[in-house]
Amino acid sequence: MNPPSAGRVFLKTVLARAYPRVVGANRRRSWVIFETVFPLLGTIAMVYVYQALGAPRAFLGFAVLGGAMLAFWNNVLWFMAAQFHWERDNGNLEIFIVSPTTLVAILIGMALGGMLQSGTRVAAVLIIGSTLFGISYSGPGMLPAVGLLALTLAALYCLGMMLATLFLFYGREVWHLANAMQEPVQLLSGTFFPVRALGGYLGAAGSLLPLTLGLDAIRQVLLPGTPQFIPVAWEVLALAAQLVVYAVLAQWALRVVEVRARRDAKLVTRWT
Amino acid sequence: VDLAARLVPPGRAFADSVRLGWEVSSNWTQPLVFIIYSILRPLSSALILVVIYAFVTGRRGGTGPYLAFLVTGTAFWGFVNSGLAGFAIGIAEDRGRFRMLKYIYIAPQRFHLFLLGRGAVQLANAAAATAIVLTVGTLALHLPINPLRVNYAQLVAACLLAFAAVLATATAYTVTLLAARDSYSYADLGAQMLFVLSGAIFPISVLPGPVAAVAAWSPLAYWMESVRRALLGDQALRMFPHLSDAAVLERLGLTAALTITLAWLLYRWADRRARRSGLIDMETNW
Repeated sequence: MNPPSAGRVFLKTVLARAYPRVVGANRRRSWVIFETVFPLLGTIAMVYVYQALGAPRAFLGFAVLGGAMLAFWNNVLWFMAAQFHWERDNGNLEIFIVSPTTLVAILIGMALGGMLQSGTRVAAVLIIGSTLFGISYSGPGMLPAVGLLALTLAALYCLGMMLATLFLFYGREVWHLANAMQEPVQLLSGTFFPVRALGGYLGAAGSLLPLTLGLDAIRQVLLPGTPQFIPVAWEVLALAAQLVVYAVLAQWALRVVEVRARRDAKLVTRWT
Repeated sequence: VDLAARLVPPGRAFADSVRLGWEVSSNWTQPLVFIIYSILRPLSSALILVVIYAFVTGRRGGTGPYLAFLVTGTAFWGFVNSGLAGFAIGIAEDRGRFRMLKYIYIAPQRFHLFLLGRGAVQLANAAAATAIVLTVGTLALHLPINPLRVNYAQLVAACLLAFAAVLATATAYTVTLLAARDSYSYADLGAQMLFVLSGAIFPISVLPGPVAAVAAWSPLAYWMESVRRALLGDQALRMFPHLSDAAVLERLGLTAALTITLAWLLYRWADRRARRSGLIDMETNW
């Protein structure tokens, strides 16, 4: 019997790793509830802040869109960046390393599955939040928003792939590291307010995160009147560049991890 | 054999638990990194609200009290977040990750003293972050907080009552969550729900009627109100303008007493269930 081709192994690995994200994660009802209700509550709290400040209704959309996108960031943080760390603790990472496939395929599977998994939560937050607070979006902006979302997610999950390998160099710190990347990222990415409100320098620093530029671009097309940080066309170019840069960096980081894992036999072994 | 006489004295059990809690929560890194980590999240949370405030109001005159409302609420919310979510996650880790909860449970000491000690450490961790957020807020945003004019008696009384309620709630909630395999998620979710009801970042009057009514039974709303009045005096934006300072404190005391009573009943029930169902040493595949 001929061994399967490399391309077939790659594809099957991607599908196999995406499967638990798309199907398995939905079997755990408590996760579905948590992943939907948690960002929804945060979003509702921010909408009430806007209301308490007497903000116009149009502003409430900033909080709802940002709160929904937060589900993607949480997924990247906990189910991409920290995932190899959990896999190592469970003893799976050693199996991944010695199996006849590549870590790139595993990460791509995780990313694709994660996007679909989070997509349902994001949709739920958007629908519930928008209905509760009577937020409307620009009809003609819907299609461009879908394209911008796809580009943003591609760049964002490439960043997650890079972080997944970097987090392997840490032990107990991983939990705290991921925690430390929550509120500070919400601040720098303008999750709950237009990024322009941060000013030029902080906004530029925050733009290293695909979430910042993607969210700003989506707001500009869906919520007319959003204060513009930079034009959407520039944001598209920057996101495309980030996609390439983070993909290359992730590939390089993976190679380093694989070499160290095989040479030192430490990085991927269970530490507890 | 008189087993009760052989229990570790309560003071020592509590002190050991505090020391253990401190080690577990802080020894994962260098002291400087731990300090930065402890203040990074609450400071960022406060800054998010400051940016929203500046964006919406343009810092126009007359809106200053709401800025102080936001910053003080965020600063003191850290106590609830650490005391409830941080604490519940810590105990879930003790069981699922470090697998030592069963040994603590059968050790010759009262289990609730161990839990209270661990919770007290979480509150102490939050205190530093609260102080820094308030200091930064006062200096950088010119909040009307004058350390010489703070009503310390009101501040301390309100905080003691609130801490007792938070610790009791956290203890009962944590032991109840032992039935869940992924209790760390629910720890955050519980804190987030209280956040919406607490009046930390918006007055509870903004909430829809029935939800606002529920929030009015929470000691957290009266704690936030008392703290703001103690720190800001007449310049505090009031959630309960018709209540005097003493009346707010009185309501805080009543709701805290009710919360502690309910939490104690819940704890007793959850503890019995945990023992009968073998939840103390349940494998959770952390």
